[in-house]
Amino acid sequence: MDIVYVFVNVAVFLLFAPLFQGVTRKITAKIQSRQGPPLLQPYFDLIKLLGKERMNSARNWAFSLAPLGAFAAVLTVAAMIPLGGKANFLTHRTDIISLIYMLVLGGVCVLLGALASRNTFALIGASREMATMIMIEPILAMTLILGAVKSGGLKLSSAMAPLGSAGYGIAAVLMLAVYLLALQAFVGRQPFDIAEAEVEILEGPFIEYSGAFYGLFKYAMMMKQMFYAFLFVSVFMPLPATGFGPADILIQLLGILVVFVLIAIIGATNPRFRIDQAVKFYAGLIAAALVAAVLAVKGF
Amino acid sequence: MLTPDTLKQTLETEFGPSGLTVDIPLPHRVYLDIPREHLRAAAARLIGLGARYMVGFGADNIERDGTLPLIHTFAFDRDGILAALRTSAPVDNPVFDSITPDIPNAGWTERECADLLGMTFKGHPKPKRLILADDWPEGIYPLRKEVPHNLVPPAAEDVAYQLDEAPPGTTVVPVGPFHASLHEPAHFAVYVDGETIKGCDYRGFMTHRGIEKLCQTQVSYNEVPFVAERICGICGSVHAAAYAQAVEEAAGLKISRRAEFIRTILLEIERLHSHLLWLGVAGHLIGFDTLFMQAWRIRERIMWLSERITGNRKTYGMIVIGGVRRDITPEIAKELRETLETVEKEVLEVKAAVLKDTSIHKRTKGVGFLTEEQTRRWSLIGPVARARGVDIDARRDHPYAAYDAVEFAVPVMDSGDVWGTVVVRILEVFESVKIIRQALDTMPNDGPLLTEFSEFLPPLRHGMSTVEAPRGESVHYVITGEENRPERWKVRAPTYANLQGVPDMLLNNQFADFPIILGSIDPCFSCTDRVVVIDMKKKSRTILDQGGLEKLARRPRSRRR
Repeated sequence: MDIVYVFVNVAVFLLFAPLFQGVTRKITAKIQSRQGPPLLQPYFDLIKLLGKERMNSARNWAFSLAPLGAFAAVLTVAAMIPLGGKANFLTHRTDIISLIYMLVLGGVCVLLGALASRNTFALIGASREMATMIMIEPILAMTLILGAVKSGGLKLSSAMAPLGSAGYGIAAVLMLAVYLLALQAFVGRQPFDIAEAEVEILEGPFIEYSGAFYGLFKYAMMMKQMFYAFLFVSVFMPLPATGFGPADILIQLLGILVVFVLIAIIGATNPRFRIDQAVKFYAGLIAAALVAAVLAVKGF
Repeated sequence: MLTPDTLKQTLETEFGPSGLTVDIPLPHRVYLDIPREHLRAAAARLIGLGARYMVGFGADNIERDGTLPLIHTFAFDRDGILAALRTSAPVDNPVFDSITPDIPNAGWTERECADLLGMTFKGHPKPKRLILADDWPEGIYPLRKEVPHNLVPPAAEDVAYQLDEAPPGTTVVPVGPFHASLHEPAHFAVYVDGETIKGCDYRGFMTHRGIEKLCQTQVSYNEVPFVAERICGICGSVHAAAYAQAVEEAAGLKISRRAEFIRTILLEIERLHSHLLWLGVAGHLIGFDTLFMQAWRIRERIMWLSERITGNRKTYGMIVIGGVRRDITPEIAKELRETLETVEKEVLEVKAAVLKDTSIHKRTKGVGFLTEEQTRRWSLIGPVARARGVDIDARRDHPYAAYDAVEFAVPVMDSGDVWGTVVVRILEVFESVKIIRQALDTMPNDGPLLTEFSEFLPPLRHGMSTVEAPRGESVHYVITGEENRPERWKVRAPTYANLQGVPDMLLNNQFADFPIILGSIDPCFSCTDRVVVIDMKKKSRTILDQGGLEKLARRPRSRRR
């Protein structure tokens, strides 16, 4: 039965990630006094892109492997998490280390694609992406470690369990604040959409991509954003659990929706930072996250 | 305080023995003629006396006396004087001393003269092609009269512009010819070390279509304003007004006061929508699309208003030699006031939001910094100069149209960076509103909108005018000709001057700031290139007809579905 939930996870992510994207776009449009695209536009975009020619403009295998790798890595992440508070087959057999590895793998695939495309703008984008990864992965790790400390195990099922049950505490509140501040960076939206920065480096790592390969990257990014929203909901939002699988998933999806609304609002009301400004900002967050983790260990 | 007479005295004492002659045909115009050997010294002396270099250009006088004239123009902003320093060289030896080492902003002027007229400048620091295509054959100088306006030499293969050598340790990032932060074709090779900009080379003029040549050979005086208007997609009236004023000055034509007031109103309407457009684009360039959308939403009202007044959102066809073509009726004046009311209110909100936004501060403060001294050295103009403590504004310093009859402030910042240009432009919006209101209040009804000038305009008269465009001052210089059209018409759009200062603004900034630094001069490459682009095909391909599209665009958002 556990194995079924693995597929449920994957299906839910594949199905809902574009919807949340659509919500973000709609809200952004409203803030900008625009009509905005239809809510389902991201689905149309993906269908169109995936149906297009697979063009390997760099003529090497790494170029086509990168989007597949990124997509697979994010799907794996989706498969192993306890969606709806329900630990599945993979959740029992993995821990936070493997989760972080899979997330980093997704990022590395973006870098791989950028380097493989041998484009100046892609290279600048790659170096920015790398700086961002190095600076924000520790924050993610601290969040999970905090959960692990609170629950006493590295297992995903316990590390990603709601903090509310173990008592919120100073450490958890601090980490909540850090996570919220890092959220835009996790999902690559303003003010931290630095690696793609359209007007500067023309979507950076993805500049040479088109068609199905680009579609896969897009899809992977959407699911990655959904994962980070899910992580926030799962760890910091004490949602009521009904014990009935589909209902729990639905409640969590509503939570994720709230996070996406927040992402859209912050994204639409901020200009983009420069990478040097962002790195300074992340450094502060890492320090705060460390403090939170230490506090958690001390039992606060 | 310098007056034309004291200027004359000073220069005659110093350069009289070298052969300088001074002519003061009008109270605020000084024409200086000097043999070419003393050109550089005289130009440097004018700068020493407090002049600002505007632009220079060459002409073809081969048929008359076998010479190529070269004219440099200067502005004494504090004293309200425009001066032209004229010289010439025989066509078989068209060599001049370069003034670029003293006046860096003359660099492009001289390269342009070399390209278009075959002049040579001794001591020019960068004698590369500026305007002509890289495969244009050597020895054909398009602005010479012997070259027909529609000459198309065969294209050559494998000819490319040689970029400047990259400083050691840097890599080249190509920005352009097509890039999301450029709205028109231009090529910047940006030399970066990591993400820090260490230098830049510019290759533009890719869409140069030879408007000056066209108007000197094909159309008549009265048709030129409509071509002039198409030099720029934003400041059309600016160019039409500057040209008309230059011709009126050369002809000694006095137009009615009412026409001058209407010109003023049109110019300020252009400034309003241009500044709002810029504010939006600036937001977009730093990744703040909400500012982009809101600024353009506000701007849209002004576009509708423009259509009410002139029949067009852009390219109004209003300003002609001798006045304007349409009146501002009391009904339109009422609508104008109402629109100003709304726009002012909405821009106040935007102003509060932008000036307090710390993220915008982060992206603009200290970015693209130039000292006041550097700004003066580069002869930069408009909001770019005013953001760097240089208090110049052609509307106040060299009043034209009805600007002598209205009161307005000239906002100046001393932050020296992109932030300063943001603040200056936002504040100027309110000044424009003020000017239009005053103009509506005090506009007299004194004469015909259009003063005909029927008598023959004698050739070889000179006239120059400056108009403060939203992005800086536009300079037009007209030498009258024999065939009912200008013998020489020189246009200097503001970007031509400001773009030359961009490499210094970029130096040691982050590559991420490239778009906003370039954007901060509100660049208008097509003006600089002097182009007309009319896409007739697109129109016919549109599925919606004009009326349908208009209806769709006009319908309130809520009912558009």
